[in-house]
Amino acid sequence: MWFVYPIVDSVVLAFQQVDLFNFSQRSFIGLTNFLQLWQDPAFHQSLFITMVFVVLVVPAQTVFALVLAAILHSVGMGKTFFRTAFFLPYMTSTVAVTTVFMKLFVAGGPLATLAARVFGVSNETWYAEPSLALPFLVIVYVYMYIGLYVVVFVGGIENVPAELHEAAKVDGAGVLQRFRFVTVPSVRPYVFFVVVAGFIQAVQVFDQAYVIASNGAILGSPAGATATLVIFLYQQAFRLNNLGYGSAAAVVLLLIVFLGTVLTRKLLPERL
Amino acid sequence: MSAFLSGSATRALKYGVLVVGAMIAFGPMLFALYTSFELPADYPRLVSINRLTLWNYRYVFDHAPVLRWYANTAFVTVGVVVGAVVVNTLAGYALARIRFPGRTVTFMIVLGILMVPLQAILIPLYLLVAQLGWLNSYQSLIVPFIANPFLIFLMRQSFQMLPVDLEEAAVIDGAGRFRSFLKIAVPLTMSGIATQAILAGTWTWNSFMIPVTFTTDPDHYMMTVGLNSLQSQFYTLTTVQMAGVVLLTVPIVVMFAAFQRLIVPSFATAGIRG
Repeated sequence: MWFVYPIVDSVVLAFQQVDLFNFSQRSFIGLTNFLQLWQDPAFHQSLFITMVFVVLVVPAQTVFALVLAAILHSVGMGKTFFRTAFFLPYMTSTVAVTTVFMKLFVAGGPLATLAARVFGVSNETWYAEPSLALPFLVIVYVYMYIGLYVVVFVGGIENVPAELHEAAKVDGAGVLQRFRFVTVPSVRPYVFFVVVAGFIQAVQVFDQAYVIASNGAILGSPAGATATLVIFLYQQAFRLNNLGYGSAAAVVLLLIVFLGTVLTRKLLPERL
Repeated sequence: MSAFLSGSATRALKYGVLVVGAMIAFGPMLFALYTSFELPADYPRLVSINRLTLWNYRYVFDHAPVLRWYANTAFVTVGVVVGAVVVNTLAGYALARIRFPGRTVTFMIVLGILMVPLQAILIPLYLLVAQLGWLNSYQSLIVPFIANPFLIFLMRQSFQMLPVDLEEAAVIDGAGRFRSFLKIAVPLTMSGIATQAILAGTWTWNSFMIPVTFTTDPDHYMMTVGLNSLQSQFYTLTTVQMAGVVLLTVPIVVMFAAFQRLIVPSFATAGIRG
């Protein structure tokens, strides 16, 4: 009940006008909130930013995790140690990780300097620079999530029969060929799972973007560069006091996540 | 390419990648740990071990209610874990073993709720908590998060994997339904219950969106919210902020190191929910 009521209420709220400081006054306003969303450039912007975030995060974490998992599976010693090491960031708090990365990517900070030397990015405070703030969020996010998906992939690769690898080896396939033609096809359902689960997680990104705004009155800083969908709905509800309007955006999020989940259920094999 | 490499060269390459990966994973944490022992004036230079000090820790305990935040976090985490273990275990058992009208429907509802992200129901949850007069209270951080669809699902699976015969035998021997649950079923699902405690504990300890929304009074902050507030309060004192990071992270890392074998698989199954 604790959960059913809010879910129903979030849909009801989407059709209402509610003020944060006077929330017992709720008046139905029909589809107005959704019509407003449809025309609100800030909302379009938040969908676009979320989409860019997802498009950067999902392939990166999937590829890195798959490669690390394949290597991890093939080595003998230290398997548990490395798996634990990769997994550790996922266990730590988003606030802690984001705070540390903010120091690493400050102008003149260790990683900002490294990025400037290696990639020629200007040595700036990434989270304060509109063109670098979203990439900054991507880095923090991928850093935390890779370990989770490494573990999922290791589980998948362990199910690949060893004979397949042996047969390929006999046929003269090298490490890279075996990865490409044996491991990847065998773990395809897991890849699919990681892509969809990663998508569902990434569209909900909030903590990291909230932390870089440092409790500011306006979230999504700098200049709205990190105003993701959840930041948009949070901002509307808790900074601009439009609970109804924020809820309409929440319903959009719910639909996106729902579609992703239905897709997983439909296409995923029984295991997992 | 690898066809030209000998076996040992390939192995060296593989370990090279793994070591670099591990360095990337540990790097930021080691940076935070080292910096937290540096004097603010020394940062960001590297200094020798004997210049390291506990100054930042003393400073942060003196200038922010860190002890209070720790106590809040511990209290809320224990509250959620104890509540979750009792409620979700009972619910999972009921869904697995007891035939009651609407059981299938109830289970479908649980599965449905599993899909709903917390972000999407934050606003109504906030209204509910506000209407109860629970803003800036421990209840608001504990009560709504005890019953958890994923943990119910997990416990239902654990109970379903037990052979029913054992419990039936106990019932024939005169034990009531509750006694057979407590004496037979629960001890056999201990690993499920431990998984539940670990997941609920970690989620709560690290939770941020809920406490930052439901608490505005620093006396009711959890560590995550407190750390975030240190960022603006001690904006120029990176070393002090890093002490906060270490204080927030160490308990989780210690727990992780201790229960690593149990934790990794738990989170792999919970990955989609995380």
